[in-house]
Amino acid sequence: MILALEEVVCGYGGGDVLQGLDLVVERGSITCIVGPNGAGKSTVLRAVSGILRPRLGRIQLEDTDITHARPHEVLSLGIVQVPQSNGIFPQMTVRENVLMGGYPLRRDRELLKRRYAEVSELFPIVRERGPERAGNLSGGQRRMIEFARSLMVNPKLVLLDEPSLGLDPKSLKAVFDNVALMNEAGKTILLVEQNVRIGLGAATHAVVMESGRVRLYGTSREILDHPEIAELYLGGHVARDAAPA
Amino acid sequence: MTGVIQTIVLGVLLGGVYALAASGLTLVFGVMNIINVAHGAMLILAAYLTFAIWTHTGLDPILAALITTPAMFGLGWLIYQLLIRRIRQAPASTSVLLTFAIALMIEGIIGLIWKGVFRAVTPGYFNDSVKVGSIYLPTARLYACVTAIAILVLLWLLLTRTWAGRAIRASSQNPQGAMLMGVDVASVAALTFAIGVATTGAGGSLISVLYPFFPASHYQWISRLLGIIVLGGMGNLTGAVVGALLMGVAENICAVYISVQWVTAVPYVVIFAVLLLRPRGLLGARTREDVAPA
Repeated sequence: MILALEEVVCGYGGGDVLQGLDLVVERGSITCIVGPNGAGKSTVLRAVSGILRPRLGRIQLEDTDITHARPHEVLSLGIVQVPQSNGIFPQMTVRENVLMGGYPLRRDRELLKRRYAEVSELFPIVRERGPERAGNLSGGQRRMIEFARSLMVNPKLVLLDEPSLGLDPKSLKAVFDNVALMNEAGKTILLVEQNVRIGLGAATHAVVMESGRVRLYGTSREILDHPEIAELYLGGHVARDAAPA
Repeated sequence: MTGVIQTIVLGVLLGGVYALAASGLTLVFGVMNIINVAHGAMLILAAYLTFAIWTHTGLDPILAALITTPAMFGLGWLIYQLLIRRIRQAPASTSVLLTFAIALMIEGIIGLIWKGVFRAVTPGYFNDSVKVGSIYLPTARLYACVTAIAILVLLWLLLTRTWAGRAIRASSQNPQGAMLMGVDVASVAALTFAIGVATTGAGGSLISVLYPFFPASHYQWISRLLGIIVLGGMGNLTGAVVGALLMGVAENICAVYISVQWVTAVPYVVIFAVLLLRPRGLLGARTREDVAPA
């Protein structure tokens, strides 16, 4: 286990969105949270990354309690979040965008340089489009830059909020290929996905949320094969068709 | 022909100083979405501080920027912590009301200390000029413009070559994205506001040798500076420089070829024309519109 949420209650001031949520993320997994709109999927990521502070409950990264940690503290512990959309800095260059991912390392120039080289190796777009303004990139390319940027701090856990949002099929495939790539590079991935078929197809583990609580948890195959889930989210028999993206 | 070139050159020299004065205003708007209507009053306050330093110590008014800039930085920090911080989440219109109140307070305080009469700072070189070819460059305006450009270059280096500058730019473009990168967005906002106000320190010292001033001069200055940043593109530093140079030249052409009395109308005409023809300004941000904006 790398991350555990216990009885977490959290919201935006107008009421609690998460209502006693229990969730475990296994080390090395790609865990996908699915559920209907308003279930609290993105709120889970915001609570983990420190943007929202839980009112009750406990969030633990390995042996460290991060329940009340601020975003920069969470980042320094090795959790990085790629937000739902518009994560880039559009007026800055691609290179500057990726370098901003290394903001916590800014005092160690050598390490920053090395990380940038590693990330450019993994995501060639960083090298190819480095001097261009990030605002000129397409949605899929922006996602690549956000992924590349998230790896600058060499995180243990990457939180991805709806990586498929607004992407065409070709970009979608490239994005999920890179999710798999990051996972192969040793990163645990916790992703929220509205597109259940794609999300579960890419994941090793799955969480189904409803009304701020976990309804089901298991391997993605178990969830895909669950008759209720197939009926509710996948329109019947599609579970057998769901192929990894 | 020489007359036209002379007019343009004088306008450019003036525009250089306007650029420095407008840079802080556009920076604060770009990063914090705050329209600091008190920016003009702060500029006039710095001019009065320069006047006080010059009359009491005889220190050159342009060198006095070394004192007024950190002093205004401190004032900016204080105003942010006491007042601006409380309206960070409010719409930009709230910032107009609050900073207008600050402007009135500053105007009142200046009136109490220095009285409501015109003051002017006239160093020894005030009436001198340098001749380059057939063009005369007034020494005070030349020194002020060179100093303003030097400070703008330092500001540009700060924003583009340092981590503090990158954090400021990132926060201006995408506050939540910056927060997720580990940037303490609240501290960056305080720093940005203080830097924005610090530019009025240097700017005020420079304008004190160019124009006479009195407590209510800030109304004219804030109109001019708003005209400049609307023309250049709100929140865009390069746009502010371009807008300032154009405004300086336009004002000078108006003064020479139309009437000095019409110069105060130039910023309003500019604001009107820009909002009508190109609302995002000359260099306002434009990115791919097929992708959701940040």
